[in-house]
Amino acid sequence: MKDHAQFAEDLALYAMGSLDDQASHELQTHLGTCAECRRELEALRGDLALLALSATGPQPPQRSRQRLKEAISEEQRQMSGSEGAPALRRLRPRWLTLAPAAVAVLLAVTSLGLLLEVQRLKDSNTKLFVELRKTKQDAAYAKEILVMLTDPGAQRMTLVAAKTAPPAHINVIYQKDKGHILLLASNLAPIPDNKVYQLWLLPAGSAAPMPCGTFRIDGQGNSMMPDTMKAEGVEAKGFAVTVEPVGGSNTPTMPIVYAPAG
Amino acid sequence: MAGRQPATPQDDAALIARLRDKDENAQNAMADLYDRYSGIVYGVALRVLGDTTAAEDVLQEVFLQLWRKPEIFDAERGRLAPWLAVIARNRAIDVVRKRPHEEDVDEIPIASGVDLEEISARRLAVEKVRGVLANLPPEQRTALEMAFFAGMTHTEIARKTGEPLGTVKTRIRSALLAVRKALS
Repeated sequence: MKDHAQFAEDLALYAMGSLDDQASHELQTHLGTCAECRRELEALRGDLALLALSATGPQPPQRSRQRLKEAISEEQRQMSGSEGAPALRRLRPRWLTLAPAAVAVLLAVTSLGLLLEVQRLKDSNTKLFVELRKTKQDAAYAKEILVMLTDPGAQRMTLVAAKTAPPAHINVIYQKDKGHILLLASNLAPIPDNKVYQLWLLPAGSAAPMPCGTFRIDGQGNSMMPDTMKAEGVEAKGFAVTVEPVGGSNTPTMPIVYAPAG
Repeated sequence: MAGRQPATPQDDAALIARLRDKDENAQNAMADLYDRYSGIVYGVALRVLGDTTAAEDVLQEVFLQLWRKPEIFDAERGRLAPWLAVIARNRAIDVVRKRPHEEDVDEIPIASGVDLEEISARRLAVEKVRGVLANLPPEQRTALEMAFFAGMTHTEIARKTGEPLGTVKTRIRSALLAVRKALS
C-alpha cells in the first residue's frame, strides 16, 4: 500500500496524464480522501498551464477564424432550422403542409425513443463503470489481504485488554470416522525444555484416556498439531492436555493442565 | 471603463455568460474570446503536434466545445487562459496518442499564483518560464518535455532514456518545481 508521500510524488505525472491506469486509479482513490494532494494537484496544473503557455507565439491562420465562425453559424442554423417562413406555408396545399408535419411527428417520436434509449444506455454505462470501479477496488483490497496473510515477514499481533494476560486457548478438531485430529493452541504457558505437551482423547463411557500426539509451543505459546488416532471410530467425550516427558506417555501424568471447557 | 483592452477575469466571465444565449450577441462574444485566446490554443497544439493542419483542428475543437458548453468553465475556479492552454495540450496529446476524445470539456480545477489574465503579465510569465526551461539541467528538461509535450508515460520515458522510473519521476517533479519557484 502506497503512503501519502508516494502518492504526492506521482501527482505531477497524474496531472499530465502520464501515469499508467493502475497507478492513476490508486491515486484517484487517494485524492478522494487527501485535501493536501488535491491542492497540490491544482497547483501543479497551474505550473503545467505556465509550461503550456510557454509554447504560445505562433498565430493561427486567418482561415481558422472564418472556419470557426462558419461552424458556429451552421450549428445555429441547424438549431433554428425548423422555424420556417409563415407566408410560404400559407401558399402550400393543406396536405403538403400536413405531410411534413406528420413526418416531423414520426421523426420526433422516433428521436424521442432513440434519445430515451441513448439516455438508458448512458445510465447503464455509468452504472457499469461505477460497478467496475468498485469491483476493481474490492479485488485490489482482497489481493492485498491475501498478500498480507501469506507474507512470511509480516508481524502478527494479538491485542487484549491492557494488563490482562492473554487467555490460553486450545481448539481440537476431531474426525471420528477417520481418527484425524487437528490441534490449534494459543498462548499456552511455557514448559521446561525436557517436557512436552501431550493431547489425550477422553473416550465416551469410563474407558481410560487414550494417548494422542505430543507438541511443543513457539515463543508466543502457539502450536498446531495434526495427528491420527491408532484406532478409528472412537467416540470422544472430550480431550485433555498434560505435560509429559519428551516422547510422551501411555498414561497421563497429573495434573491435567488443559481440560474441556465447561 | 471604456477602452480597457487587457482582458480581466470579469471580462472573460461576462463573455462566457453571453455565450449561453446562443444569439448574435453570443457569436460576437465568441469572436472576442477567439481573438484573445486563439494564439494560446493554437501555439500549444502546434508545439505538441508539430503540424499546422492538426493544430488548426484542435483549435477548432477546443473553441467549439467552449461554444457548446460554456457553463463548464467556472471563472471562480480557474482563469480562462491557463484553462484553455491545458485543454489544448490535453486534446493535442489525445491526437498524438490516438485516444478517443472526451465528449465533454474537462472540468479541471487550476490554481496558479500568477495572474495570467493581463496580457502583459502573461507575456512576462511566458518569458520567465522559457528562461527556466533554458537553464534546467538537460536531462530534467528532456524528461519534462517528453511527458508534457510528447505525452509519453513515465514508463515510456524510462525505457527510452534508460533511466530508472524513480529518476524520471524526480526529474519531472524537480523541473516543475523550478518553474513554480521562478514565478512565485
